[in-house]
Amino acid sequence: MFQEAVCAIFLIVGSTFIFIAGLGMLRMPDLFMRMSASTKASTLGVGFLLTALAFKFTQLDIVSRAVAVIVFVILTAPVAAHMIGRAAYIAGVPLWYRSVIDELCGQYDRCDHRLGSIDIRTQDDERAEGDA
Amino acid sequence: MSLIEISVHFSTAMLSLTVVFAFIRLVRGPSLPDRVIALDLMTTVGIGIIAVYAISTDKPVFLDVAVILALVSFLGTIAFAYYLQKVTDIADLKGD
Amino acid sequence: MTTFILNLFLAFSWVTVTGHFEPLNFFIGFILAYVMLWLVRSGSAPSNYFKKVQQVIGFIFFFGHELVKANLRVAWEVIRPGHHMYPGVVAIPLDIKTDAEITMLANLITLTPGTLTLDVSSDRKILYVHAMYIEDVDEFTRSIKEGFEKRVQEVLG
Repeated sequence: MFQEAVCAIFLIVGSTFIFIAGLGMLRMPDLFMRMSASTKASTLGVGFLLTALAFKFTQLDIVSRAVAVIVFVILTAPVAAHMIGRAAYIAGVPLWYRSVIDELCGQYDRCDHRLGSIDIRTQDDERAEGDA
Repeated sequence: MSLIEISVHFSTAMLSLTVVFAFIRLVRGPSLPDRVIALDLMTTVGIGIIAVYAISTDKPVFLDVAVILALVSFLGTIAFAYYLQKVTDIADLKGD
Repeated sequence: MTTFILNLFLAFSWVTVTGHFEPLNFFIGFILAYVMLWLVRSGSAPSNYFKKVQQVIGFIFFFGHELVKANLRVAWEVIRPGHHMYPGVVAIPLDIKTDAEITMLANLITLTPGTLTLDVSSDRKILYVHAMYIEDVDEFTRSIKEGFEKRVQEVLG
């Protein structure tokens, strides 16, 4: 009975998180916020659903496989998000028009995608002086 | 109806709605990366659906499918990201 | 490191002596061996193993807390009608140097909802992060540096 209750709670919490991820995917105004809202919430949601499964079947082999999937998803989700985000930024996907700041703008070398580290907050003035 | 059955029904409804949302994003775009993350979300939800289905049918064998899906979907997303970058490189070369 | 191997060895002995070959029993043995080693630790042989374990546990709690907080914030943002975000890309200067530390910091930032690591500069001095709530750029930079970066430095450094 206790096991069933825990399993049910994890199912409901997990699917709610995944639902929020889907809603965020639909509602957020630009790609980067869509990724922020969807990839993490869905990772957490799948984690909860697999935990529910581990509570339902308490055999060792099932639990270890569920843990393996959770660990794998948690390890790979940020890497995938980072790769898509970087590729999208380089491809010129625009930020939302109400974004307050973009310090990555203009830092990429167009040919080989080497990324500089000029601190534009302090060096903007110097560069302006150099141009003049 | 037991507690688990009710929560399984609830989860199935939520997950199906999420797939619909992701599909709307997949159709509307507007850019290619948007579609890629929509597909990524769909595969992640797929893993969740497999877990819920394994619970509802009481057959833990389906977990093996979830393992494979988790492995393959990551490779798919990485391949898409790589492709995106190559496309941008080629466009840049043509621009110059 | 040697303390860790000793700890594992003692946990294994606990499992053999009690005769229950189960992960839970191994875990119990590990905790018992840890407490025992902590009790008999000598002042002359300095070992940062105990400090490290406490730091790792503290780190796990800290990250869990951040994860839940950020998730609830983003969830509330998604449900609530209208948009109330101040998104943007911020350059965060890095104090950590090694690849392992930067990878871990980037992954932790990406795992927290609302923030997303876009790239690290080729000379590994600056991390570019997209965030959903930037009320104040310096305040945000400080929160990342004093929250995540300091902890990563503690755990891996």
